[in-house]
Amino acid sequence: MKKLIVVGILAVVVLAAFQSVYIVGEGQQGLAFQFGDPVRVVRDPGLYFKAPFIHDIVLLEKRVLGTEPQSAEYLTLDKKRLLVDHVSRWQITDPLLFYRTMRNETGAMARLDQIIAGRLREEIASHNFIDIVREKREAIVATVTVGAQEAAGSFGISLLDVRIRRIDLPTDVQESVFARMQAERDRIAKRYRAEGEEQALEIRAAAEKEREIILATAYAQSQVLRGEGDAQAALVTANAFGQDLEFYGLVRRLQVYETILGEGSTIILPPDSDLLRYLESPVLVPPADVEAVTAGD
Amino acid sequence: MRRSTVPNEPGLADFLDPEQLSKILRYWLSPRLIWALLIGVVALWLLSGFYMVGPGERGLVLTFGRLTGQSESGLHYRLPAPIQSNVVVDTARVRTAEVGYITEAGNQNVVLAEAQMLTGDENMVVVQLFIQYLVQDPVAYVFYVKDAEAVLKASAEIALRSAVGQNTIDFTMTEGRVQAQEQVKTLLQMLLDQYRTGLLVTEARLLAVDPPSDVRDAFDDVVRAFEDRERLVKEAEGYAEQVVPAARGEAAQMVLEAEAYREQRLIRAEGDAARFLTLLAEYQKAPEVMRERLYLESIERVLSGADIFILDTGSGGVLPFLPLTAVTPPAEPVIVPTEPAPAP
Repeated sequence: MKKLIVVGILAVVVLAAFQSVYIVGEGQQGLAFQFGDPVRVVRDPGLYFKAPFIHDIVLLEKRVLGTEPQSAEYLTLDKKRLLVDHVSRWQITDPLLFYRTMRNETGAMARLDQIIAGRLREEIASHNFIDIVREKREAIVATVTVGAQEAAGSFGISLLDVRIRRIDLPTDVQESVFARMQAERDRIAKRYRAEGEEQALEIRAAAEKEREIILATAYAQSQVLRGEGDAQAALVTANAFGQDLEFYGLVRRLQVYETILGEGSTIILPPDSDLLRYLESPVLVPPADVEAVTAGD
Repeated sequence: MRRSTVPNEPGLADFLDPEQLSKILRYWLSPRLIWALLIGVVALWLLSGFYMVGPGERGLVLTFGRLTGQSESGLHYRLPAPIQSNVVVDTARVRTAEVGYITEAGNQNVVLAEAQMLTGDENMVVVQLFIQYLVQDPVAYVFYVKDAEAVLKASAEIALRSAVGQNTIDFTMTEGRVQAQEQVKTLLQMLLDQYRTGLLVTEARLLAVDPPSDVRDAFDDVVRAFEDRERLVKEAEGYAEQVVPAARGEAAQMVLEAEAYREQRLIRAEGDAARFLTLLAEYQKAPEVMRERLYLESIERVLSGADIFILDTGSGGVLPFLPLTAVTPPAEPVIVPTEPAPAP
């Protein structure tokens, strides 16, 4: 019986000992309550003492937490619908205030998302679609962050930042975007092909131009050469024939007769011509010209 | 039912017998055994303080929840729970994350909701991003951010969409790809540092930047059109390279022909002149004889093939009769002034 009492006391002591200490780990923070009244806020990790059975401990996250809500539809300044989802990072910096206003992380996330979504709606409604997609993204989230930080502060939350993760178009709008992209690509394809034809024509024309120039230059050069040939030939023969023009006239004329009076020519000769002067009698008669008629007509 | 007399081998049925039960309890509650058990438990408890840190890993030692030390690879000892505890983090392993697709059994399946995004010129593009990272600061990784991997994934998506949203679709798909990659990496690392995740991005690579499947054909056609353009230009260049040398050849031929003409004209003229001068020299020795001979020889050749009529044109009164219909037309005479005549 005695033994049993000792064991009982020992058990109570051990239990009390365990009840009077608590551990706050790294990345955690704790609150101690005495029958619902906060008595201590623990921000650093370690082993802490408390009054057993009287004090209750609540442990909260000290690490950076995040919310990743579903995307929601927003309306831009130019009345375009957008599906936007945002991501926020936050920390519990005032655990007591947080516990009083939010109780737990789930509640805080829902509240925080509501606040951020409200701010985001305002900001998106005051910007044009293309600005939101392109340049203003950073500026918008910066404004939203600043605005939401104030509200988050009253819940013991420090909001590190808000980021827009996805900006998408509603499915029915996507169709029209695809149609526009298609038209845009068709335009580019046509331009490429037209450019190809343009360049090809230009290259061909340039080649033909070059060919014409080359041929014309060569023609000019050859004409000069032929002229030179004719001139030199004329000079050489003139020098020779000029030595006795009368004799040249004789020789050339005889040559011409032979050329123009070929086989089958009809020639009418008077009987008193020089050639026929001995035909009728061997007595000398004064000579006459040879008269030639080319037959045909 | 088996009844055993050996107390240290109690069967299940023995517990139903009160006599046997008290025997067993007495056996178990013997002080020696209790001490032995107690020492055994304490020894086991103390032994539970050993832990392994593998190569490339880092051990974090916590004393009552507070970080009090770190350990490198090897076998280490800490005080057993709940006094001390440890966390081992692999800091050498290169971890990977995928945005826009999931690798399943070696296949990359596109996750369209993640992969399809708006570009800066209001087009849509399907992007797949591959990220490699490692834990650089294990303390921050474990204790500063909750679920650092999820933060990395979300931040990667933010960075990717931001980079794609700032550029045009053509830029991102072609020459801007590397730049977009760098932008993603820089922005992602900035976000990870801002949240103190302790993660270091070693690589961010855009695996695919494709047009959405609805418009892929149109994009392919642009590629074909681009090739068509190149082809047309190449064909035209081929034509040019054929035409110009041909023209040069023709030109050379023309010039050479003209040169040949010039030379032959000169040489022939010299020949003509020489012939005339030779003849002249002979003529000057006896002009009257030469004239007569040349004339008669020539006339002989001319008249030998001709039809000759001898008429007294001087008398006038008589109309000469000519069978003009019988006269055959002669060959067209060609007069070339310097053509060499038959030798006299």
